[in-house]
Amino acid sequence: MVDLCADDTPELRAWRREVRDFLQEALPEPWTFWYDYDENPESWERYLAFWRKVGKKRWTALTWPAEYYGLGRPAIEKWILEEEFVNHDVPTYPVIGMHVSGYLLRHGTHEQRLKHLKGIADATVLWGEGYSEPGAGSDLAGLTTKAHRDGDEWVINGQKTLGTAAHFCQWMSVLARTDPDAPRHAGISCFLVPLDAPGVEMLPLDNMADGRQNMTYFDDVRVPADSLLGDENQAWTQIWFGMGGDRLDNAGPSLGPHSMRIVPLLNRVIRYCTRTSRGGRRLADDPVVRQQLGELMMGVEAIRLQACEMHGIAQSGRPSRFGEASMHMHQAVFKEFWPHLAQVCMEIVGPMAQIQGGRWAQLNGDIEHYFRASFGNHAGGTSQLKRMVLATRGLDLPR
Amino acid sequence: MGIDLQLSEEQELIGTTANEFFEKQCPPKLVREYESGSPEFPEALWREMAGLGWLGMPFPERYGGLELAMLDMVPLYVELGRHLVPCPVLDTVALAGSLVYALGSDEQKKTLLPGIARGDSTIASAIMEPDGGYGPEAIQVRATRNGSGFLLNGTKVLVACAHSAGRLVCAARTATGVDEHGISLFLVDPRAPGATIERTPNIAGYPLYAIGFENVSVAEDAVLGEVDAAWPALYGTSMKAAVLQSAMVVGAGERLLAMTTDYAREREQFGKPIGKYQAVQYLCTDIAIHCHQTRLLTLQAAWRIDSGRPFLRESALAKASASRAAGAMTFAAHEVHAGVAFVTDYDLQLYTRRAKHWEYNLGDLRYHLDRACAESGL
Repeated sequence: MVDLCADDTPELRAWRREVRDFLQEALPEPWTFWYDYDENPESWERYLAFWRKVGKKRWTALTWPAEYYGLGRPAIEKWILEEEFVNHDVPTYPVIGMHVSGYLLRHGTHEQRLKHLKGIADATVLWGEGYSEPGAGSDLAGLTTKAHRDGDEWVINGQKTLGTAAHFCQWMSVLARTDPDAPRHAGISCFLVPLDAPGVEMLPLDNMADGRQNMTYFDDVRVPADSLLGDENQAWTQIWFGMGGDRLDNAGPSLGPHSMRIVPLLNRVIRYCTRTSRGGRRLADDPVVRQQLGELMMGVEAIRLQACEMHGIAQSGRPSRFGEASMHMHQAVFKEFWPHLAQVCMEIVGPMAQIQGGRWAQLNGDIEHYFRASFGNHAGGTSQLKRMVLATRGLDLPR
Repeated sequence: MGIDLQLSEEQELIGTTANEFFEKQCPPKLVREYESGSPEFPEALWREMAGLGWLGMPFPERYGGLELAMLDMVPLYVELGRHLVPCPVLDTVALAGSLVYALGSDEQKKTLLPGIARGDSTIASAIMEPDGGYGPEAIQVRATRNGSGFLLNGTKVLVACAHSAGRLVCAARTATGVDEHGISLFLVDPRAPGATIERTPNIAGYPLYAIGFENVSVAEDAVLGEVDAAWPALYGTSMKAAVLQSAMVVGAGERLLAMTTDYAREREQFGKPIGKYQAVQYLCTDIAIHCHQTRLLTLQAAWRIDSGRPFLRESALAKASASRAAGAMTFAAHEVHAGVAFVTDYDLQLYTRRAKHWEYNLGDLRYHLDRACAESGL
C-alpha cells in the first residue's frame, strides 16, 4: 500500500519497521481470518492469542491517554500501524471493542474508563453490538428495546438482532429507549451490559458466510445505574451517530479497518493473475482481465484515499468537503464496492472459483468466501441509508 | 499535503483567486462565443492570465515562469474546468510547453517558453494520429533524414488551437517500428510548405485540427531532445498533464453537482421538489462520489510528482477515474435536469460536450486502466 506522507521522518520510518518486525514474528505465515465469518474454535483461539500479543504491547491502545492504559502516541503512528496491519492481511480487532473504547474515551466517566478500557486493550474482554432490532435496521431510531430506572438500577427489556459474533463476547453495548414520550431520536440511551447478567438469552442466527450473528433477548435485565454510557437520552448523537457520522478522533476507529480488507484481497487476485494461465495466456495478459483489474485498482485506491482523508481530517481538524456526511460518503462507497469487488474477482477466477476447498480450490476458496461475506456490507447501515444521509446532510437536498 | 489530502492555504488561495477571476472574466456567454468561432480563443483573457503568472507556472524564472509545483497548479486547473475556460492552457503550458521544458535545449527553451509565459505566443502539441491510439505504436508519422534535417510525412489529428500556434510539438518516427524506441519530437511551423491544416468540427466546439505533412522540411535544430529517444519524456509529460486534465474534470464536476442539486431543490413535480425523491438523490450522490474520488486520486498523483516519488500508476488511476467521472457525472446531471438541459440555452450541455473531449484527452478510461496494470508490474 502506498502511503501519503506518513513516513516523512526517520522516527516514523523506524516505527513502521518496528510494526513490521512484530508482525513478521507474530504472523509467521499469511493468514486470512475474519471473525464475523468464521466459527472454527481453533481459528478463534489463534486469532485471540494474536490480538492479546498486540494488546500486551498496548498497541491496541496506542493513542489512548496513559491514565487509561494507553501509550499516548500521536494518531499518525496509529495510521502507520493500521497500514502495516492491512498490508499483512491481519484480521481486524475482534467485534466492536474499538468502537466502545471510542465511546468510553469521549463520553464515559473516569470510573467507566478504568473499569472497561483495560479489558479492551488486552483483548481479554470482547464487546458485542446491541443496536439492530427485528423492526429497526437502517431506521435504528425505531428501536423498541426499553430501559427504565428502578432505584439504583436500570431495567432493560427487549430484543436485539444481528449481533455479529456476540456469542464470543462478554459485554454488549446496548441502545434502549429511556424516554418513550420524547421524539424518536431524543429518547435513546446507551448501556454497558454484561452478557452473563440474569435475563440475557442469546440464540444463534447463522450467516451465509459461515459466521454467526445472534438474537439477544433482554428480559428484566438489571444493570447498575452507572452502566449508562454518556448522557441519558443522548445516545443517538453521542453513540450511534458517533459510529457512522461523527468525526473520527484518536479514540476510534478499529484497528486494521474493515474497509481496507479489500487491499490485500485485490493484491492476492493480482498475484493469482500473474501465475495462472488460461487458453495458453496468463490472465494478467488478457486485455479483458486487465481492464477488470485496473477498474478494481481504481476503486480500491479511491477508497483507500477516502480513508486517508477521514483519518487526516480527524487529526488536522480542518472541515471536510461534505461536512459530517463525508464519512457517510466513504461508507456508501465501500459498502457498494465490496459486492462489486467480489463479483468481478469471481469473474476473473472463473468457474473454478465455486470450489470452496480441497486441492482444486483456487486461492484456497477465499474468493468464494469473500463473495458470500460481501453481502454482510449492511452492518452499520446500508449503502442506501448512507447515500440518503449524504444527499440530505452533505448536498442539502430536501428530506 | 498531509494525509488529509487537503491543499495548503496558499494553494487554496490560487483556486479562490482563479475562481473569482473567471467568474467575472469568463462567463458562459464568453464560452459560447468561442465555440467553433474565430479567433480560436479570447486573447484578452489569455493575456490577463499571463499577467497573473498562470501561463508560466511550471517553468523556472529564467524562462519567465514561477516554477510552481503540481499541487500549486491543480487548483488553477480545477477552476479552468469549472468555468470551461476556452483557452489552450493545458495544451500549450502543461503539454507542449512542458515537453519543450523537459527535452529542449537551453536555446529552444529561451526562444519559446518566455513567450508562452508572457502570453505572446502559443505552441500546440501534435501527438495523436487517425488510428486513435495513445501508445507508442500509434505514432507513425515518418521523419526521414534529409541532409542535416528531416522530412515529415503523415497526419496528426485533434491538435488544439493549431492555427494560431507559433510552433507544433510533433511526435514522429525516426526509426520504423511500433515500440518506444524510434520516436522523436520536432518543433514544426504549422504554416510550413507541405503542411495542411484542416479544422475538424467536434463535440466540444473546441478548435481541433487535422494536420497533414507532405514532405515538410524541418531543420536539425528543430529536434527536441535526442533523436529516437523522446518517448519516455513524452509519456511522462503526458501523464503529468493527464493529472491536470483530471483536475479540470473535478472543477467541471463541482459545477455540475452545484447546478444539479440547485435544480433538484427548486424544480417541483407531483407537488414537491424532485430532490426529495431518492432516485434523484441517488443521481446527485453519484456526481458527488465520482467527483470526490477523482479529486483525491488527482491530489495523490500531484503530490507524488511533487515529492519525487514514482507517479505513473497513480496518474493513470487519476485520469482513469476522471475519464469515467466525465461520462458518469454528465449522465447523472442530465437525468436529473431532463428536458430543460436538452435545450442549448441551458449551460449544462456546454459541460457535457467538453467533458467528452476531456474524457478522451491524454488517454481514455481503457488506456489508463491498462496503464495502471502496466505500471503495477502487470
